[in-house]
Amino acid sequence: MISFQRSQVVGAEFLDDNTIRFNGIQEDHIYGMEISLEVRIDDGKIMKIHGNMKRYTNFVCPRAVSVLQTAVGLSFRESGWDKQVMREIGRKGCEHFAEIVIECGRCLDSAVLSRDLARALKDNPGLNQEEYLSSRQR
Amino acid sequence: MTLKYLRNKVVEVEPRPDGNLTVSWRLTDDLLKAEVQLIVQPPELEIIKTEARLERYPPRSCREASERIKRVEGISIGSGLRKILAGLLGGADGCSILMDAVLECSNAVILHFTRPGIEAGENITDPDEKLAATREGIKSNPRLIRSCISFQDDSPIMKGLNL
Repeated sequence: MISFQRSQVVGAEFLDDNTIRFNGIQEDHIYGMEISLEVRIDDGKIMKIHGNMKRYTNFVCPRAVSVLQTAVGLSFRESGWDKQVMREIGRKGCEHFAEIVIECGRCLDSAVLSRDLARALKDNPGLNQEEYLSSRQR
Repeated sequence: MTLKYLRNKVVEVEPRPDGNLTVSWRLTDDLLKAEVQLIVQPPELEIIKTEARLERYPPRSCREASERIKRVEGISIGSGLRKILAGLLGGADGCSILMDAVLECSNAVILHFTRPGIEAGENITDPDEKLAATREGIKSNPRLIRSCISFQDDSPIMKGLNL
């Protein structure tokens, strides 16, 4: 029998050509949390963030919701951004919120690439997807 | 509004009849499908067997994932793991997907051991007893101190503990 399981789901909506909204959910046997954040694509900056703590382990945990606002202005394109998220959102707030924010950050380039590939396929249904992605230097 | 991109990740821990733990990690998104499996041996939490498979359009640096993951066989889950993995799987030509996968598998193993204690705490209904139990938990697990808002010096949980 499974003794511990965690699922993370991150979806990306493109609000305009330069703004993504990520909706991230993390559910596991112990914790349940959600994050929604808007990111400016060209510089990777978090413009808006809010979170919902659904299941947690003690009465202090919900105070971490307000700590999320310290992420506004942080850039997913700066060196060491993930460590900064864990320090500012995780250690000073909630590690599990930080895990969702980090997963959203990891999805930034893939989401943009995915959008661009879909656009390119629309223009050219016969496009070699592997060549297209290689040309984007992943 | 439709989604232009969706990522799903699952990590699960399953105890085996021989006492070892099977840890399975899977990721699927629009561009990538990845699977990592570790066999972890208590009590040292040594990673004794590994497998990895990356499909769809993995980044160039991850195309030899199934061989590269073997580098972590023999290491143990514990303090310093992040630094060890950075040396084995990270770096300029490293595969961050594999490194993240192993770290997330390791975290899941820790939470596998944490879950029974948290469930036991749920049976305590008296708030004072619950707080006392939480404080005892911190004393026996000092890595929790200042690890999050609940265990910072100004938290009501930490009041008077002088840790």
